[in-house]
Amino acid sequence: MTRILVVDDEPAIRRLLSGILERGGYQVELAENVREAISAVERSRIDAVLLDLGLPDRDGLEAISAIRTKHDVPIIVVTARDDTAEKIAALDLGADDYVTKPFDCDELLARLRSALRRSGKAGSADAVLTFGPVMLDTAHHRATCREEPVMLTPREFSVLATLMEAGGRILTHAAILERVWGKAHVGDIDYLRVVIRALRLKLEIDPSQPVLIRNEPGIGYRLMECPSSK
Amino acid sequence: MRSDTTSYLFGLIGVVIVAAITATWLPTLGIASSALLFLLPVLLVAARGGLGPALMTAAFGALAYNFFLLPPRFTFRIHGFDNLVSLFVLFAVALVTSRLATALKARESEASHRATANAEIAQFSALLARGEASDAVVAAMKWLADGYGEARFLSQGTLPEEGNGFSTLDLSAAAWATHNGDITGHGSSVMPAADWTFVPLNPRRQSGTDLLAIARPVSGNTRDESGVLQLQGLARLLGQARDRIALDMERQARERLEDRDAFRRTLLASLAHDFRTPLTVVTGELAKLAHGDAGAANALAEAKRLDRMMNDLVGATRIESGALMPHTGAVDLVDVVSDAATSFDGQNPTLRLTQTVAADLPLVEADPVLLRHILTNLIDNATRHAISAVSIGAQDRDGSVILAVEDDGPGIPETDHGRIFERFSRIEGDDRSGGSGLGLAIAKGFADAMGMIISVEESGSGGARFCLVMPVRKIATP
Repeated sequence: MTRILVVDDEPAIRRLLSGILERGGYQVELAENVREAISAVERSRIDAVLLDLGLPDRDGLEAISAIRTKHDVPIIVVTARDDTAEKIAALDLGADDYVTKPFDCDELLARLRSALRRSGKAGSADAVLTFGPVMLDTAHHRATCREEPVMLTPREFSVLATLMEAGGRILTHAAILERVWGKAHVGDIDYLRVVIRALRLKLEIDPSQPVLIRNEPGIGYRLMECPSSK
Repeated sequence: MRSDTTSYLFGLIGVVIVAAITATWLPTLGIASSALLFLLPVLLVAARGGLGPALMTAAFGALAYNFFLLPPRFTFRIHGFDNLVSLFVLFAVALVTSRLATALKARESEASHRATANAEIAQFSALLARGEASDAVVAAMKWLADGYGEARFLSQGTLPEEGNGFSTLDLSAAAWATHNGDITGHGSSVMPAADWTFVPLNPRRQSGTDLLAIARPVSGNTRDESGVLQLQGLARLLGQARDRIALDMERQARERLEDRDAFRRTLLASLAHDFRTPLTVVTGELAKLAHGDAGAANALAEAKRLDRMMNDLVGATRIESGALMPHTGAVDLVDVVSDAATSFDGQNPTLRLTQTVAADLPLVEADPVLLRHILTNLIDNATRHAISAVSIGAQDRDGSVILAVEDDGPGIPETDHGRIFERFSRIEGDDRSGGSGLGLAIAKGFADAMGMIISVEESGSGGARFCLVMPVRKIATP
């Protein structure tokens, strides 16, 4: 059974998260602070961590790096602060994703699934990627969407592949830009916007109301699970 | 000449003594030395100052010399040219010496005057520098009243009415002093007939100056030129002290305001943070119930609105504190509109929310986070006033992109179009809006920060249409 560590100093939030997770079929472990969280990760097998950033003993961001240095366990940040810079910092330090309080529980579970998928596939570089209706054959540079072949430019292909490898986890603009265009272009968000636009025209049913490639303003892009097209 | 009588007496006695000595020992002294001795009382008296006593002594000495010494002795007859010479010498010595002595005396008294004046200025500035500045000014005013006569401040904006001890002439003098920066009134050269002396506190200030009004000395004496000059110096010190107080008070007030502002900002930020915990639990638990329960769904929608209001409060403090630094860059409106609209999903099932943002619309130059907040507030406002439909659309026009949020509600009276973006403004008689009264003000504040124009007009269906004009991003090609 998948074990999730919930780290939050507020008992009410711990209860809420336990409820949501248990109903989602997960086993829940609880921690109130960074110290407990780290010892829980060391002590037992944890499959994913839901980490509040506002913890009493240490800064949540420190907790991310502390866990990351030794463990590859997926970390989802749960923050009450609507601070773009902090979210980006958390992602840069190795958090897999984040949700902002007050969060939607479906959304939370979706993020958790994506994060767990990532760890399940870690290390295996699949030649064929699938996400929702989209399938990418990286070896042959072929793409299909809803079983229809789609013509993609190399940039479009590589942005899409990057997003698909993340499997629904958020990727910061800078991370995508670095991966596809190289380190020198991490600030050139225009490039990314234009490619995303082109991808949407080719993949979305209604490109003006995208459901597959979603933007989190000021942070980055993610692929969304779309229940309708599963 | 305070001691003229004494000087006359001195002269007389001196001459008598010299006459007695020379008359007694004339054979031993000889006539020439005796004549010289008569210079002594003249010199002494002249050196004491005063031309009168010196001349008198000279004349008396000449007479005594003539009477006691010159042959024929014991007569006043003059019969020889040498007698006239001795007389002339005595007078000349008297004149020159007394002149010199008087000049010296005058210089001495001027120096001592200046010393007193300087001491007074020093004392006055010490008084002004002592303790709390405003108390020091009060003490200084009392000191002036004791030494010079009743002292008052007249501030330039509020020159006094007649009465209060001021005559019409006094008031004209005060007005003159305020506007020209001259000393006027009693003791000065401008309107000297006035009873008060008006001394400008900041004579070089272009805009006019506050005044120090000093009443005529209690003793009834007239104030002389040096007294007026002294007052001018004192008034300047007083003016500087008052300027310092004003600056101090201004600084303190500003600091207090800043402190309070910083306190309010941190309070709100931490409140917003603390609010989110219970709000998360409430929305989370309600969400479990909301499937199929209209009541719970309604409560959930309201809880989400509470969160938006909290965001608005934080946004409002950011705008007010001037800490808003937009990070503008290329933004795809499709992203922002779909993201903002999603947060209203299922909020009100009776409303139709349509998005018509062309996927090939140019990218705009904006801060994505602020833009999303603006749009969220506009949609929130529209959903609260719409009857059945809210539509979000965007079009490009002449190098700009216009984002419009439109509802089919009752609309906003034309007269309120300007006021609607003010804080806490709601349309009169509209009590169902239920907003924080901040939403549109924040939309405007954020738009201003990004240099965008936000406006409202009547929509085709008679509702309200809010428009945000954004610059098109000139993009570099990948």
